[in-house]
Amino acid sequence: MTRTARGRSAVAAFALFVVVGVAAFWLLTRPRPLAATALPDHTPDPMGGEVLYHVGSCGSCHKAADGAPGAEEGLPAGSAALPTPVGTFYPGNLTPDPETGIGRWSEIDFVNAMTRGLSPDGAHYFPAFPYTSFAAMPIEDVLDLHAYLMSLPPVRSPTRRPDVPMLGLARRGVGLWNRMALGDRRFEPDPARSASWNRGAYLTNGPGHCGECHTPRNWMMIPDRSRYLAGGPHPAEEGDVPSLRGLLARGRYKDVGDLTLALQYGETFGYDKLSSGGMAAIQMNLAKLPESDVRAISEYLLSLN
Amino acid sequence: MIRNRKHTLAAALVATMTFAGVGMAVSSTDTIKDRQDAMETVGGAMQKLGAIAKGEAPFDAAVVKENAATMEEHLRKASTLFPEGSDTGDVETWAKAEIWTDHADFVMKLKTAEAAAEAMKSVTEESAFRPALGKLGNSCKECHQTYRRPKQR
Repeated sequence: MTRTARGRSAVAAFALFVVVGVAAFWLLTRPRPLAATALPDHTPDPMGGEVLYHVGSCGSCHKAADGAPGAEEGLPAGSAALPTPVGTFYPGNLTPDPETGIGRWSEIDFVNAMTRGLSPDGAHYFPAFPYTSFAAMPIEDVLDLHAYLMSLPPVRSPTRRPDVPMLGLARRGVGLWNRMALGDRRFEPDPARSASWNRGAYLTNGPGHCGECHTPRNWMMIPDRSRYLAGGPHPAEEGDVPSLRGLLARGRYKDVGDLTLALQYGETFGYDKLSSGGMAAIQMNLAKLPESDVRAISEYLLSLN
Repeated sequence: MIRNRKHTLAAALVATMTFAGVGMAVSSTDTIKDRQDAMETVGGAMQKLGAIAKGEAPFDAAVVKENAATMEEHLRKASTLFPEGSDTGDVETWAKAEIWTDHADFVMKLKTAEAAAEAMKSVTEESAFRPALGKLGNSCKECHQTYRRPKQR
């Protein structure tokens, strides 16, 4: 073998390595949407969807920037910046505007966004959008939420691309992260517990996505499920998120009634530590829920040791 | 003689620098402690008002006035306890850097809370209590959500 021939085969080996690597990356990161046949026969209930909208604080991340269209009416028209360690996101317009909102989305488009983290054109959303929690929701509930959003007045407010380094590659790479972090998250009720406890567990861990901030994450930003809701560094800003375990033992709240009032009124009733790190907006959204749902969340949280 | 004077000068200089350094450290730590005490007092008075809203205590205009006055006084005191350079000290502080980068907005929010506490002082009717408490509580939330780091405990 001459030196050039050896050189040529080294180049060929390297090229093969790159091609195999790219192909593997492409296969492992490919989006896996649900087909429209997965949709159940269900008459959507926009009122139930409104409760899910508030428990999920959808309007707090998808709010309009100050002075932007929809801001005055408090509509989820998007455009406000959401800074994270990964980059700055501009959560999308959730009003039914056909051009800039979800007006032209089909029901299965919305279900794939919520439970698979996929856009209607099949691209991965970044997990700053907590589909990892919403994946616990039954499709019927996702359709209720969709019906509520479609009942809102449409607002024309163009969506902005996220400000993330190497956006295209990073977006595709989320597929790989999903393989490790997403899994089967459907909520399974515990028959040994009350209906109210199960409702609370579902609202907290599914649409409420409390664990996204209250569960610590590992170096790959995957929540550590062995320390579920045990608190840790705030994922998006400075400071520490408190643990939601042992709230009774730590003397934070007296009983279910006490925590219910705390979630409904927060600092207005003299309950401290319910405003920082984004919690004020969440508490004020929870205040809009039926009292039975806030009690259910409280019952579930106080059962965690 | 000259050498001695040099020594004395050097000693004086070192002493001044040491005292200045210690003085600064102590004062920033003291300031942080003072403002935390002031805010604890504000929080304690707010809990008394919260107890009335929760129905744990009866509505009593005198109790409302007393606690609202405590809040107003300590909020006013707190507004002097966030000087430049008091972002760190020898005790843990939850004050965010934005207090000093957006200082005008911070001061405005603190003044809003002070005004809400003052308004609460003149509440004598139970029907006016809840709206006034809503305003006061929101002024706490408004400031804390922007300018206070979340606490682990």
